[in-house]
Amino acid sequence: MINGTENKSAAGLFRRLYSSIGLSFPVSGALFVVALLIPALPGAFWTEVATEILILGLFAMSFNLIYGYMGQITFGHAAFFGLGSYATAMLFREFSGGTGEIATWQFFIALAAGPPVAALGAFVVGIFVVRLTGIYFAILTLAFGELLFFVVFSWYSFTGGDDGIQRLLPPPFFRDANVYYYFTLVIVVLAMLVMWRITRSPFGYVLRAMRENPLRTRFIGINVQRYMLINFVVAGTFAGIAGALWGPFTRSVSPLLLGWQESGIAIFMTLIGGSGFFIGPMAGSLIYTFLQAYVTGFTVYWPLTIGLIILAIVLFSPGGVLGMLDARIGRWLAREGDGDGMDAEVPEATPGDLGVEEKGDA
Amino acid sequence: MPRPILEVIGLNKHFGGIYVTNNVNFTMAEGEQVAMIGPNGAGKSTFFNLLTGYHSPDEGQVIFDGQDITRWSADAIVRIGISRAFQISNIFPRLTVMENVRSAVHAHMDVTLNMFGKAEQIGTDETVHVLDLCGLTGKIDTPAGQLSQGDKKKLELAIALAGQPKLLFLDEPTAGMSRDETQETMELVDRLNRDLGLSVLFTEHDMSVVFNHAERVTLLHRGEIIIEGTPDEVRDNETAKQIYLGEQHL
Repeated sequence: MINGTENKSAAGLFRRLYSSIGLSFPVSGALFVVALLIPALPGAFWTEVATEILILGLFAMSFNLIYGYMGQITFGHAAFFGLGSYATAMLFREFSGGTGEIATWQFFIALAAGPPVAALGAFVVGIFVVRLTGIYFAILTLAFGELLFFVVFSWYSFTGGDDGIQRLLPPPFFRDANVYYYFTLVIVVLAMLVMWRITRSPFGYVLRAMRENPLRTRFIGINVQRYMLINFVVAGTFAGIAGALWGPFTRSVSPLLLGWQESGIAIFMTLIGGSGFFIGPMAGSLIYTFLQAYVTGFTVYWPLTIGLIILAIVLFSPGGVLGMLDARIGRWLAREGDGDGMDAEVPEATPGDLGVEEKGDA
Repeated sequence: MPRPILEVIGLNKHFGGIYVTNNVNFTMAEGEQVAMIGPNGAGKSTFFNLLTGYHSPDEGQVIFDGQDITRWSADAIVRIGISRAFQISNIFPRLTVMENVRSAVHAHMDVTLNMFGKAEQIGTDETVHVLDLCGLTGKIDTPAGQLSQGDKKKLELAIALAGQPKLLFLDEPTAGMSRDETQETMELVDRLNRDLGLSVLFTEHDMSVVFNHAERVTLLHRGEIIIEGTPDEVRDNETAKQIYLGEQHL
């Protein structure tokens, strides 16, 4: 009996703690600790996989600013990832003059060019797409994404066409996989901290209000289209940061980075991790990229594998892996709360509008 | 007579061949509390929609506080001082009660472009004040979608009040409320009207609410204003009885 009381007190304490900090904070902390230790693994393979997880995770998180927070789905978000990567790659090409060597300051300038170019692209596209919502918004983003893909694909003299741009060698210091990994980790963590701040700001409240009820948002005095455009540009900027990091990592860029398949990756990652959680897309990137790296060692049927995983998640856990974890914790707390006056009750995650979940911290 | 806060001149709106408001002329004085009544489909909600920027009128003028706001966007109309509570509660269901009102407070404080401030530390006093006024203090952490129908209507009112409007439109503010909740809500509206000088235009089907709380009553029928007057004048009007009131409310 005493043990039972102690258990319930512990559950009560955990419940209060959990309701105040949520799931994203502890998951982020755990992922960060693991991320610091990755280079200790033998060989460069897992460090490179982890770099990919970080970059694509940031890309997916930027997508979730539009999807999870604002409640609109975009099928063309890769356009801004691609624009960021091309801006960096083209400056690499200019600075190196075909030798493949660039100075450290040139490397940083090239990286810094990615986000503003992506932001400019997002602004131009956003002016048109924010006039619509729902499926029309989604289709228009897809159309603009494919338009930009086609421009990059066809404009040989400027973008290198379908050959892309090769030999994007960072300065010697950054060529080491561990160095580039830690450099990426620092940029991604900083970007995530800024994103976290944004989502907790009055602007972040507006995003949620627009997601929940755009009509009501207008009637509290918010120009919904204007805020959709601003968020579209913010999300495009973060996608541009991820894109800028991509070229020097893979040593090349290609038009496929702007294509709908790349946009699909951000969507998959977000669905796998859980769009209702700030850290969900990064968790999704971890699962997706790790599985891709692991599964392709055994079978060539990677697309089939990921398709089945997505299917299972959409069918059985529409809140993603974190949504499932959150629901389990909620049920456990509800069970532990029985009989001691506590009223712990966390409703099960249910699919909401556009897949945005009832539960979560987004 | 105090200066007019709202003047509607020759307002017309038709959908297809049907006129939902037909040459409506209407004036409200500052600080007045007016009820708009009429059968379902009379055009009351459409009238509100035209005044608040949800629809654009085909013809006519809407002048608020001396400024022509005809065809302004809904958000611009809110920012100039007109708030609205909807007939069917129109809230942010997955945000808490506190977040619902705080969002409206932020919009009124014009801090919504702030991307780096802590939202939960901005506008707290104002939010708590409005929640207290509307009797929602005990439910601040409840997701709005889980509230009772009556509390949803109170929240709807709280969101509207968070904008500190000069003119408040309430579309059936007590629909779905218990008798006690109706009493509380209308007492609050009276208090806001009396103490703060808030001008209020409301629609209502409960005639006890209309006749006990309105200074003036306007009867709308088929998009036209049929009668305007004090509650007693409207109550005693034969046309009003025939069109809408019948005998049971008298």
